[in-house]
Amino acid sequence: MEAYDAVVIGAGNGGLTASATLAQKGLNVLLLERHNIPGGCATTFCRGRFEFEVALHQLSGMGTPDRPGPLRMLLTDLGVLGDLEFLELSDLFNVMMPDGFRVTLKTDKEQVISELQEKFPHEKEGIQRFFDLSYNYANQMLAAFYFKDPAPSREKYPVLYEYAFKPANEVLDALFSDPVAKAIISAYWGFMGLPPTRLSFAYLAMLYFMYIEFKPFHIKGGSQALSNALANKFLSHGGTARFNCSAKKILVDDGVVRGVITEHGDQIQAKYVISNASQVSTYVQLLDGEHVPNNVLTEMRGRTLSPSAFTMFAGLDCEPADVGITETTNFLVTKADISDGNLDRMWNLDIEDEVVAFSCYDVADADFSPPGTCQLNMVTLKYGEPWLRVPPTEYFRVKYRCAEAMLRRVENFFPAIRKHMEELEVATPLTHMRYLGHPSGAIYGFEHYTKDSMFFQPGRYSPIQGLYFASGWIGDAGFQPTLHAGVAAAKSILRDLGAE
Amino acid sequence: MKKKIFQEFDGYNEIIEEIEISRKYGVDYSAHKDSPDQYINRLHPPRLRLRVSEIIEETASTKTLRLVSEDHYLPPFLAGQYIALFLEIGNIRTSRPYSISSPPNQTGHYDITIRRVEGGLVSNYLLDEVEKGDVLESSGPAGHFYHNPLFHDRTMVCLAGGSGITPFMSMVREVVECGLDRTIYLFYGNKDLEDVIFHGQLSAFSERFENIHYLPVIEAPSPGYDGLSGLITGQLIKKTLADLSGKTFCLCGPPGMYDFCIPELEALGVPSRRVRKEVYGAPLNICDSPGWPQEVKAKDVFEVQVKGGSSIKVRADEPLIVAFEKQGVAVPSLCRSGECSMCRVKILSGKVFQPAGALVRKSDRQFGYVHSCVSYPLEDLEVLL
Repeated sequence: MEAYDAVVIGAGNGGLTASATLAQKGLNVLLLERHNIPGGCATTFCRGRFEFEVALHQLSGMGTPDRPGPLRMLLTDLGVLGDLEFLELSDLFNVMMPDGFRVTLKTDKEQVISELQEKFPHEKEGIQRFFDLSYNYANQMLAAFYFKDPAPSREKYPVLYEYAFKPANEVLDALFSDPVAKAIISAYWGFMGLPPTRLSFAYLAMLYFMYIEFKPFHIKGGSQALSNALANKFLSHGGTARFNCSAKKILVDDGVVRGVITEHGDQIQAKYVISNASQVSTYVQLLDGEHVPNNVLTEMRGRTLSPSAFTMFAGLDCEPADVGITETTNFLVTKADISDGNLDRMWNLDIEDEVVAFSCYDVADADFSPPGTCQLNMVTLKYGEPWLRVPPTEYFRVKYRCAEAMLRRVENFFPAIRKHMEELEVATPLTHMRYLGHPSGAIYGFEHYTKDSMFFQPGRYSPIQGLYFASGWIGDAGFQPTLHAGVAAAKSILRDLGAE
Repeated sequence: MKKKIFQEFDGYNEIIEEIEISRKYGVDYSAHKDSPDQYINRLHPPRLRLRVSEIIEETASTKTLRLVSEDHYLPPFLAGQYIALFLEIGNIRTSRPYSISSPPNQTGHYDITIRRVEGGLVSNYLLDEVEKGDVLESSGPAGHFYHNPLFHDRTMVCLAGGSGITPFMSMVREVVECGLDRTIYLFYGNKDLEDVIFHGQLSAFSERFENIHYLPVIEAPSPGYDGLSGLITGQLIKKTLADLSGKTFCLCGPPGMYDFCIPELEALGVPSRRVRKEVYGAPLNICDSPGWPQEVKAKDVFEVQVKGGSSIKVRADEPLIVAFEKQGVAVPSLCRSGECSMCRVKILSGKVFQPAGALVRKSDRQFGYVHSCVSYPLEDLEVLL
C-alpha cells in the first residue's frame, strides 16, 4: 500500500496552502484534485484569445512590501511571492445607478469619508461615525484576539463588546436615514453572501478595515497564477499531486484516520487527512456514517448553504474606455434596496433588479487580456436550490434566458458592450456545483450569520483524530481566509507531530 | 470554568438560542449523500455507455453510428457539441472526439458520423470493426462550438470542409425540426461530389425551407458539373450573400481550410469577433507549422522520461499523448485539440513545440505546463504527469 504522512483532499486555496506548508516542513504529502488544474475557485479558463478569471475580484490582506499584510506574510513564508506579480487597485469600488448616480470610493479612509459626505451631505455625521465605529471595532477585535490580550474587558474594548454580534442593518439604521446611502455603504455584502439585513456588522467593518488598510490587489495572470505558484512550490518540496483524481473514502479505524481511497480504487495510508472538500461531502460522503459522531450532524443541522452565483464572462474586442468602463470594480445597483427583498431575489431563479458586481481587470492591468481587448466578469448571487428544479432538457434555455436578462441590466449602464462581444460564457449555480462539488453550488460554503462565526463553530477540527478541515466551509470564505485556513490546518498537524 | 470573552458580548444569549432553534428545525445533511454528483451527472456525466443501434452508410468512406444509451438516459447537448469515444484498439487505449450529427431535439439517440482517415487508427477501427450491438464508452457532451443566442446573429454563415459537416448537420436539423427563427447559409467544400456527406438530405432541406441555404462547393468537379466549384473564396461568399454585416461565421474543417478561409473573411471585412472556429484535432503535418524549428526533422526520435515511470521514445512529429498511449501510459483526454486542458502535463526539462492556437493559460506557460495532445518533443524531455 502507498503511504504518505498526510493526504490533502482538494487543491483549492486551503488545500494548496495546507499541502505546501506541510511539504515545506519535510512531510511526505499527497494532494488529490478531481479536476485537471489546481485552484478550485481560484482558476482561470480559456476561450478564444481570452483567459477568463473565475472568482477573484479583489485580493485582501496583501499590504505593501514595507507594510505587509497578513496574506503577504503568508505568501512570503511559503516562498511564492517571487513567482507572482501583484497590482494594487486604486479604488474600493464604484457604484452606478440607472439615474446616472455614481460614486467611486478610493482606498483611503479619509477619502472614502469625504467622497461619501460629498454625495450625501445630509448624512455627513453618520458617515464619519460609521467609519470611526468600524475602525474602532477592527482595532479592538485585533487587540483582543489577533494580539491575544490576556486580560480583555468591556472597559478596554467597549465597541467590541457592544458590536461583535450586531447585525449590520441595526447599525446602518441608527446612523443613516437615506436608503441609498445605506445601500452604498453596505455594497460589499455580495462578497460575503448575506444582505445587510442578515449580515453581521463585524464582517462589514472588518472588510472595510482590511481593504483600506491593506488595499485590494489584482494578481497578474489571475488567481490561476497564485494556484499554480502554490502547486509548483508544493511539487518542488517533493510533494505528490494527482489531478483528475478525487478521493472516494477517508479510512477511519476506531476514531483515528488511517488513509484514503481514491476514485481509482488506490488505497493510501496516512495518519493525517486535510479535507479541502465541503464539510457536507466530507462527513456524509467521504466518511462512512459509523465514524461520524451524532453531534457533528446535529451541529451541521443548524447551518444553511450559502448562495451560489450566476456569472457571465465576456471578452470584448475593444478597450474598456471604448464602452465607457473606467473602474475595475463596479456595483451596478438597479434598486437601492437593503431589505430582505435581497434574499427573495437570491432565491428567485430569474434575474430582475439584482445588484450586479461588474469587474474589468483590464482597467488596472492592461496586459490582462490581449492588446485592444478587455474582459468582463459579471456576477450576481443566486441560491442554487431553484436551479436543482430545472429539468436537464430545459437547462440551456433557462440559462440563456437568465443570461439575456442580466445582459440587459448591464446594457442599461454600458449600452455598447454587446456590439463588441467576441466571447461570452455563462456559469450558473450548477456550473459552480460541477466544478466545486459543493451542494447547491454554494460558493461561500455555509452561510455566515453571526451564529456561524468562529466563536460558535468547531472550525478546522473534527472529532476524528488526524482529520482536519481547510476551506471556506469552516470559517470565513473568500481568498484571504481560505489561504490562511490551509496554513492553520497544516500547523495543527505540525503541532500534533511535535507533541509526540 | 472561566467564561470566554465572547460569552460576555452583547447578544450572546440570543445567539445561543438561535443556534438551538436552527439545529432543531435545520437541514438533515446526511440525506445529501452524493447529491451534487447526481444532479451534475444528469448534465455532465463523466462517462456514458452507448450501444450501436444502427450503422448508416453515408458515402463510400463515411458511416454514421447511431448510439443509444445503455443506461436509459442521454444528457442534453447544444447543436455543435461533441462526445469523445474512449476505445481500446489492439492494446492501445485512446480517445477521439466526434461532433454529434443528430439534432438535440432527438433525445433517443446520438448520431456520430465518421469518415475514414488514411491510416487512421480510430476511424478505421470504427468503420471496419464496430458492429451493431457493440457497446462503446464516451464522455458526456462537451465543446464550445454552438450558436450562442446572446450575441451570435440569427443568420449564420457556415463554412464546412469534409467531415467538418457533422456539427452543422446537427444545427440545420435543429433549426428545421424545431422551427427556429434562424437562417443558415452552409458552404460545404469537398474534393469531389462523391465525398459529400448528407448531400441528399441537405439538398432536400434547402429546397423545402427558405431559411436553409445549402451550397456545396466542389474543388475538382468532373466535367459537366454546374454547381459551385473551386475553394470557398471570399468572392464566392460575397456572390451569394450581398450583405455580410452583422452575420456570424462558423467554420469547421481541416486546418488547411482555416488557413485559406480566414484571410478571405478578413479581406471581406468580417471582424474576427464574428468568426467562430471549431477545433479539429492536432495538425496533420506539424513540421510545416509556422515556427517549427528547421533543424528538427519529423523522423527525429527523442527520449521522454516520465517522472517516476517509464522512459519512452517519441518521434518529433508525434503528439506526446499519442506516444504515451502507445506505451500504455494513461493520460486523460477529451478534445485532443489543445482546448480543454484535460491532458495537461508538466515539462520538467527539455523543449516542446506547441502550435499557435493551443489554449494554454499564462501561468501554465510560466510553470511549464502544456497540453500533451498538441505538444511535440524537440529535445529529450522529462515529464510529470
